[in-house]
Amino acid sequence: MEVCRLPLSATQRGKLISAGYTSLSSLSSASASDLARDLKISDGEALEILNVASRSSRSDNAEGSHAIINGGVPGIGKTQLGIQLAVNVQIPPHCGGLGGRAIYIDTEGSFMVERALQVAEACIEDMSEYSRFLRKDLQTFQVGLQSKDILENIYYFRVCSYTEQIALVNYLDKFITEHRDVKIVIIDSITFHFRQDFDDLALRTRVLSGMALKLMKVAKNFSLAVVLLNQVTTKHTEGSFQLGLALGDSWSHSCTNRVILYWNGNERCAYIDKSPSLRSASAPYSVTSRGIRNSTSNYKRVKMM
Amino acid sequence: MAPLKSLEAQYGILDSNFQSFCASNGIFTVEDFLLHDLSVLAAFAEQEPTSERLKEGITQVLSIIDRQHQPWLNGLQLLEDAQQNKHVLSTGFKGIDKLLEGGLREGQLTELVGPSSSGKTQLCLRVAANVAIQHKGRVIFLDTGNSFSPRRIEHFVRQISGSVFNEVMSNILCHSTFDIFSMFDVLHQLENSLKSQGHKGDCKARTLIVDSISSLITPILGGSGPQGHALMTSAGFLLKKLAHELNIAVLVTNHMVAGEGGNLKPALGESWKSIPHVRLLLSRDQGNKTCSISILKHPSLASGEVARFVIDD
Repeated sequence: MEVCRLPLSATQRGKLISAGYTSLSSLSSASASDLARDLKISDGEALEILNVASRSSRSDNAEGSHAIINGGVPGIGKTQLGIQLAVNVQIPPHCGGLGGRAIYIDTEGSFMVERALQVAEACIEDMSEYSRFLRKDLQTFQVGLQSKDILENIYYFRVCSYTEQIALVNYLDKFITEHRDVKIVIIDSITFHFRQDFDDLALRTRVLSGMALKLMKVAKNFSLAVVLLNQVTTKHTEGSFQLGLALGDSWSHSCTNRVILYWNGNERCAYIDKSPSLRSASAPYSVTSRGIRNSTSNYKRVKMM
Repeated sequence: MAPLKSLEAQYGILDSNFQSFCASNGIFTVEDFLLHDLSVLAAFAEQEPTSERLKEGITQVLSIIDRQHQPWLNGLQLLEDAQQNKHVLSTGFKGIDKLLEGGLREGQLTELVGPSSSGKTQLCLRVAANVAIQHKGRVIFLDTGNSFSPRRIEHFVRQISGSVFNEVMSNILCHSTFDIFSMFDVLHQLENSLKSQGHKGDCKARTLIVDSISSLITPILGGSGPQGHALMTSAGFLLKKLAHELNIAVLVTNHMVAGEGGNLKPALGESWKSIPHVRLLLSRDQGNKTCSISILKHPSLASGEVARFVIDD
């Protein structure tokens, strides 16, 4: 029955089928008033049903980057990375950045405003130094951005339960349509509210995969990056320990790219685990008072796997 | 099928009297007619004053139904169709072609299942590039995870043919879908546009890739109603119908979930297992670029055979 393939509510579907409208062609030849009479619904509702049936999809031509990334063990710097990204996305285009705003969705309460301010100030200092270096003149170059502007450009949402999280992801579409300059959405961390006390595992899989699809759509339609921070757990397989993402294999499938943050001895490293176009490689980094910076150890090169 | 009212214009015998008789028996469409016990209906018709006309109406509807189904084909016609229309498309990997005795067959739905990061998307991209160049065919790529990479396609095209031609790139059409209903929309549009296209000299559509279909089905499968299951089966049948009628090879990817004893098993459950014609299991050696592919199910080859291949950088 083709009518089952339309995104209508179960009641509307039931009414359509019992009145004899089981195929799309029967709907296309019906008028709104006929439908309203047969289904005993209002004209407005009938018109809505006909619109759904006749709507044709247009392909989206949005280009641009839209990566979804996941992360690592506690203490590795995931939140630091999130804060750094929220600041970096605001670097103006004439300094090589995107000049956009950030949405930061905090599920654990780990976002520290003082830290964000620190990172923002360090970023501005670096930018002025960099442009001074480029221009090679003695005038102090006005970057045009102050640290409080940077904080203002981060839209912060705090969610305290999984229902709030689902509601917020559904609301993102509308929010970003109204704030078109958002270029990054950071969720820290995506699975926190789903790990403990969630009894129905099948429901959890459905909800999370639906959420992932909505985030993909937002990333594609608005050409922005969606960054998801997640934790790892250890799995015991055949006597050996393997690091796997929290919430397992079905969630691993839901993202486009995956970057794993891990400890290599005393050094923090990032490793590309999944990507459609980049090869597997790892790079060291460090968390300093000024934010995330390149590691100052001997391993300056990116190690290719 | 149309409600009976709309047939009135063409067949005068199915007038409002006939329609109200049918409505009193719970029949509104031609489909309902098929489900109803016709001898009981005829018995009811006997009791009506206009019984002759009503019985003529019933016969008329039955003859309309007879014209609806696909014509019967015999074995020889099926063989001819298979030999002339259902070609085998090379995947671009010698090992896989050897395993599958040629490659992907047009008219069949092939499923690629594997754990995360095992090479499913890369294989799909490579197949797309190969079909566009070697078989000079059009490829339709439905992307559900923003993982279609034009850069990677360009890399593969360069690898296969040495240089990149714009015509090749423009024969790979990518469309993003993020829910199952929009996938149905796209597939219906495709069906209509490809059927009306007929046989054009250049660039007939040869492959449809959905990466990954399990992302679209997982959010609706299970839960309170059978709706999700019905949509999944419906999607499978539509893909197989497109494969057969339009003579294209359909390739879909599926992920894996935890099964018994800590092993992984393909997602989408038991009912999905019987839907694809060919099911291939992919896995990647740890820390390596070598992938293995084995046959889980095939209509004409033994399962369990394994082949290895490498996805180059």
